[in-house]
Amino acid sequence: MAERVANREGIKGMANPTRYGLERVAYWLQRISGLGLLAYLIGHIYETSTILNGKIAWNNMLSLTETPGGHLVLVLVIGMCVFHTGNGIRLMISEGGKGVGKPGQPEYPYRASSLNSKQRLCIWVSIALAALAMMYGAGVLFGD
Amino acid sequence: MRESIIMKIHYGTALGAVALVAVHILMRLSQKFSDSLQYQNVLANYHFLPYALMLEVILVLLSVHGFNGLRVILLELKQGATYERAINYGSIAAMAILIAYGSRTILMAGMGIS
Repeated sequence: MAERVANREGIKGMANPTRYGLERVAYWLQRISGLGLLAYLIGHIYETSTILNGKIAWNNMLSLTETPGGHLVLVLVIGMCVFHTGNGIRLMISEGGKGVGKPGQPEYPYRASSLNSKQRLCIWVSIALAALAMMYGAGVLFGD
Repeated sequence: MRESIIMKIHYGTALGAVALVAVHILMRLSQKFSDSLQYQNVLANYHFLPYALMLEVILVLLSVHGFNGLRVILLELKQGATYERAINYGSIAAMAILIAYGSRTILMAGMGIS
């Protein structure tokens, strides 16, 4: 019973990206970026709705978002969007059974075939693409 | 609805949204970014019917995908019949509210009502 309670870490366990390697980091980043993008979507829909209140209200909203801070948030959103897309496509393909290896007898040193080099490469490529997109986005936003 | 079907919808909405959001972003980059956000330019986007329709489709796809993703995260966190029912119906309600609010903007701006 005590062990069961100790294993129930709840939100703290879910928020911890460590202990289980790169796939766990990717799982954590996928969830964090998903939540961030949902928050941005809600904010963006609210932000664009101010256009109904006329030009002054729209320009007031732009004076809040068209700032270095607002641009920094957009750069972060670009990064989250690209990582979420890249890693999401990896997950879709994996769930279809592609690139996860064949199941076999568990033999020492118990390497999971699903955590193979293809999967790791896809995670690193997603991170690299996100970084490149953030750099490009920063160039467009701050270069204006 | 079966979870396997829900996940197919989740993946379908993701792929659709990726393609259409790419078009949405490219439209912003067709001119200087700050110019594309000027009042008249944004209003012109809503008055252009195919673009307004695309915005509506993006709104639906992202709302469905986003709130289903949130539902999955919340169901991973805790289980139980009442909790799961509350999360399922809560997600659908939040999804519907966001779609209704976003559609109101697209419709009213498109028809020139403000």
